Amino acid sequence: MDAELITEKLSFQVKSFQESFEILSSSSSIIEMAKHFNRILRGSFFSTDISIFYKKNENSEWERLIVKAIESKKYFDEIKDEHYSKIYSIEDSTGLYTNIQLVDSSYLGVVLGKRIDGSSYSEIDKITFQIYLQMFDSAYQAFLSHKNEKNLIFSLNSRVSQLYSLIETGIEISKINLGDKLLKLGLSRAISLTNSSFGRVKISYKDGNVEELFYPSKIVSQDFIEANILSHKFIDYGNEYEFSLCEKESREGVIDFDETDDLLLSAIVRQVHAAIENERFHKEALENETMRRELAVASAIQKRILPEKLPNILGYDIAGINIPSKEVSGDYYNVFQLEDGRFALVVADVTGKGMPASLLVSTLDASLRSYLDFQIPLSIMALKMNSLIFKSSTADKFITFFIAILNPSNGELDIINAGHNPSLFLRNNGSIEKINAGGVAFGMFDMGLPFESQKLTIEKGERLFIFTDGIPEAMDKDENEYTDERMEKYFNDVKPVNSAQFISSIVADVKLHTKGETQSDDITAIYLIRKE
Amino acid sequence: MVRNFELTSNLLKDVLVIKTEGYINNAGGEKILQEFENHFENGVTKVLIDIENSRVVNSIGISFLIEIIEKLNSKGGKLFFQNLDPSIEKTFTIMGLFQFAEKISTVDEIK
Repeated sequence: MDAELITEKLSFQVKSFQESFEILSSSSSIIEMAKHFNRILRGSFFSTDISIFYKKNENSEWERLIVKAIESKKYFDEIKDEHYSKIYSIEDSTGLYTNIQLVDSSYLGVVLGKRIDGSSYSEIDKITFQIYLQMFDSAYQAFLSHKNEKNLIFSLNSRVSQLYSLIETGIEISKINLGDKLLKLGLSRAISLTNSSFGRVKISYKDGNVEELFYPSKIVSQDFIEANILSHKFIDYGNEYEFSLCEKESREGVIDFDETDDLLLSAIVRQVHAAIENERFHKEALENETMRRELAVASAIQKRILPEKLPNILGYDIAGINIPSKEVSGDYYNVFQLEDGRFALVVADVTGKGMPASLLVSTLDASLRSYLDFQIPLSIMALKMNSLIFKSSTADKFITFFIAILNPSNGELDIINAGHNPSLFLRNNGSIEKINAGGVAFGMFDMGLPFESQKLTIEKGERLFIFTDGIPEAMDKDENEYTDERMEKYFNDVKPVNSAQFISSIVADVKLHTKGETQSDDITAIYLIRKE
Repeated sequence: MVRNFELTSNLLKDVLVIKTEGYINNAGGEKILQEFENHFENGVTKVLIDIENSRVVNSIGISFLIEIIEKLNSKGGKLFFQNLDPSIEKTFTIMGLFQFAEKISTVDEIK
């Protein structure tokens, strides 16, 4: 070979070194590098059988990247450490092989088989082969840098994506009325953000029941291996919600969760907790608003039914009061003048509060007015009203009812007490009579149980006190009641000139007992004094 | 672990259409790459991934998609996506996938 030809050949090879370096260093994997290197070597040496092997480190097994002749591995398998990078010849230089250590302590093994024309490799070929191997090492270094750079960009993008997803998840989760979707949404987002394989939300309800939600849905409890779990939990309204993530993924397999994963899961779990609370508060606010409107209507009904002013009864002094508690209850009182000149004094108490109680009071008032117009005996009226109230109310609703029909001319009282607090009758001799006669409260049974009326006569100076349990059961902050005894003593001891004074003074005494504590029940009463 | 991930594929002319269902994670991504490589070796350079039935993807799953993009780029090919969930689309945008892949509405848009 003349000098000019050698120079041209070397010049060509130098040019191809640059191209080869670019091709090799821009490969996406070691396999791709090996494929390119195979072509480069074949083009340079016209070799027919080229085999390329790779091992990650000294202790790992050789991987066959390019293998044309299976037996080629044996050539460098036995090469000792000290002989790395040495070029070995096969059968009178009809083949070459070597084993080099790369920059990251991995190894590359290359076998150049026979050339197309069967000629031997020259010394210049061996040197060129060396240069190609060094070029491969440099390209491999560039490939690793490029790979690291790509990993860095990927990692940075991942962080940005995580932050974005966290913000988006927060917005999504905070939407009201997600219901069951909320937990699944939070779980799937946490799984995605932390590269977990799967996860679970375990809800331990305060009643002892346990519910589990999984993502992906085919996962079951047994898939959770304690060693690979990351968990966060919170308690809301007595129910415990535990979010668990399992098996953090990487391209190399399962790895441990890190601090970032812990922070991300914690953030999502806090968002879910806040959303559950908000949803509950929103629901409560709606319920409160509904209740507030209901109470406003109930209050309006009650105000319309209760008397603004009681009628004057010649020869008597009468006063009444109704102080509603914060929640509208079902206390009722009224005094009606009947067509025959008599008066009906009525006090009643409906069980329950709010709209249902108010409606029942309304029914009571309407039926009472109708029956009083007919002037039928009280015992029959009571039977009819009991039947009507029974049919108009639910099983848990009933009305305690007290009625006294007063004939003002002679002081005769015709009385029925249907399950109401015994009214107090203060005789001139200082004794107190408790008026119990009657029957069961209206609406409890509809079996035709009789109501027996009681007749009494109120004499001049005598007093009648009809009340609801809001007075004796008024409580102070320690839940001590005002009591029947204190009320009876007050009734006995305090005898003001007119009825209104008694009513206002006993209310003041009740307030003295409760010391400003919120009134838990309506206070309703009628006080009657015979003056002449 | 390969759970809750399924894919179907078919060739529409010279376009490989891969339809995924489930979580695109390590296992899911690997399945997609495997399916792609089976056809890539036979010269397919246009790939459409329909992820209508995949609502969750993680970064390991994305790394497989990037690998597919790189391989297609080396042969002058292209990756297309169809039926992207908005949150996945945003993630892909941040991860830079749309620099080398295209979002399309129907397979007919691929020339």
